[in-house]
Amino acid sequence: MRWLRRKQARRGGLDAARQRFVWNTLGPAMLYMAFWTLFPLLWGLALAFFQYSARRAGGPFLGLGGDNPFVGLAHFRAMLDFSADAPLHVRTFHIGVKVTLLFAALVVPLNLLVTLPLAVLIESVHRRMRPIFRTIFFLPVLAPSVGVAIMWGYIYHPQRGLLNAILGRLLGHPVVLNWLGDPRLKVWGIPVALFAVIIAYLWQDMGYNLVIFIAALQSIPESIKDAARIDGANAWQMFTRVTLPLLMPTIQLTAILTMISAFQVFDLVQVMTDGGPKYQTQVLLLHIYNYAFRYQRMGWAAAVSVVLFLMVLSLSLVQSRFLRARWEY
Amino acid sequence: MSAYGARAMRKFGQWVRPAYFILIPLSLIGLLPFVWMILGAFKTGAEIRQIPPTFFPHHFTWENFRTVLQDPDLPLLLFYRNSAIIAVSNVVQVLFTSSLLGYIFAKFDFKGKGPLFWIIMATMMIPSQLTMIPGYLILAKLGLINHLLALIIGAAIDPFGIFLFRQFAHSIPNDLLDAARVDGAGEFQNYWRIALPQMKPALATFGLLTFMFNWNAYLWPLIVLTEQRVRTLPIILTWYSTRMGNKYHLTMAAAILVVMPVLLLFLLVQRWIVKGITMTGLK
Repeated sequence: MRWLRRKQARRGGLDAARQRFVWNTLGPAMLYMAFWTLFPLLWGLALAFFQYSARRAGGPFLGLGGDNPFVGLAHFRAMLDFSADAPLHVRTFHIGVKVTLLFAALVVPLNLLVTLPLAVLIESVHRRMRPIFRTIFFLPVLAPSVGVAIMWGYIYHPQRGLLNAILGRLLGHPVVLNWLGDPRLKVWGIPVALFAVIIAYLWQDMGYNLVIFIAALQSIPESIKDAARIDGANAWQMFTRVTLPLLMPTIQLTAILTMISAFQVFDLVQVMTDGGPKYQTQVLLLHIYNYAFRYQRMGWAAAVSVVLFLMVLSLSLVQSRFLRARWEY
Repeated sequence: MSAYGARAMRKFGQWVRPAYFILIPLSLIGLLPFVWMILGAFKTGAEIRQIPPTFFPHHFTWENFRTVLQDPDLPLLLFYRNSAIIAVSNVVQVLFTSSLLGYIFAKFDFKGKGPLFWIIMATMMIPSQLTMIPGYLILAKLGLINHLLALIIGAAIDPFGIFLFRQFAHSIPNDLLDAARVDGAGEFQNYWRIALPQMKPALATFGLLTFMFNWNAYLWPLIVLTEQRVRTLPIILTWYSTRMGNKYHLTMAAAILVVMPVLLLFLLVQRWIVKGITMTGLK
């Protein structure tokens, strides 16, 4: 019997069974992905060119047409209306772009400025102490962002919050700053509410990059560090001349990943401020959510999500090129 | 330094480094939000209203937890059940499809393998906010809004998982698979009996990441689950906190009941989660 099977195998009988197995598995998987990924993608792109609401019946094909008329590039043209009397959705969209860019522009450098030195510090202490510190800073990553938002909302609360209590104790008189709700509070023209959200965001998000940097630091060969030490490098020189250049690919990757997720921030903002005060923290994804699911203007929301996608794509391309150029020098 | 006994100094230096003078205060600040939440949950309503607020509770009380657990509008067990059904189903199906497809892309030769794999990887670039609105419309057409299935039905395939398991399946020895084939094992049997056990570390790591991601998810459940009885824990927590307003002692007790059990569980398996993140750079 066995020799027969071997013979079959040589002739390709087994190979036919393998091909069957491959296509019986891949076929349904590809169909599934076509339906749940490709089809929604195309539909989403199409929606951007319609005035669409799920509440209206519309045309026969996907509810497009009819009461949900084709408007061509109207949504995208409206986005370019920068006049003071532009409609509210256009003005809040502009604010959304500004807030999202500002959010990412602050989060990415602040995150790297804290996590990279922190990783080096943690790696410098005794081996048995490292997991303790790593766990403390990693803990917020494991918590649901909704819980994080509620905890920080309690810290920032004007009367009940910890922050005002500490400031009051330090300054010697009661402080009742409304960190998340007062639109007049600004530092260097940046709304304080946005800073407040960013701090909560950093607190939750840092653990990711921290563990990635710690892993990268551990992968630096001891021989390189020893060589630098023998050459008389001090701690600072070790960091700038050895660690940093070797870590550059990791830094590049984490910077891009941090930026991409910062562009898509939603949970913290929605729970902590819901975009307020006066749209000062209204990021683009919140704008999309509001217009699609609160105001039922899905065509507009789809157009804005196309813009958000292009922003993420182009900036990650630019950033990767920029960082690579720096790294090669 | 050698004059003072370099060995003793080195040992001392290993334990007491200047790094600690930065790390310990930073750790305390890092833990502060958790501490503030926990302390708040043990204060009385009167103490919560006090201005300026107290740090440690003057009248330590468990009453808040009792109030939250007895709130008829907040059947926490139901929401735990909802979250668990969604997270466990998605872990099971994603692990199954990822390991099977990853195994196929690693161990089989077939026509169009390269382009197909590339296409699947390219779908990772499609941002969720682009597919969010049509995804909702599809689920509405299927009548699945306000049904737990809405969060499960479209989540069976994770291209990232396929990538991960493909890397992992490469290291399974071909001899092992061929020997089973010669003994007459079917291809699916081969995957189930031989390949899958070899991928246990990847199953554990990726399973945990998927569970955590699903358990903590907010935006998508917020869109498709709008009725109270089907809501998941993160959504119910925001609903409760909005309803309680300034009654932070109750909100914090609820937050602890929602956040802490799973946080402790994650803490126990932290090693694998960290491994997963560093292995993948996943966000």
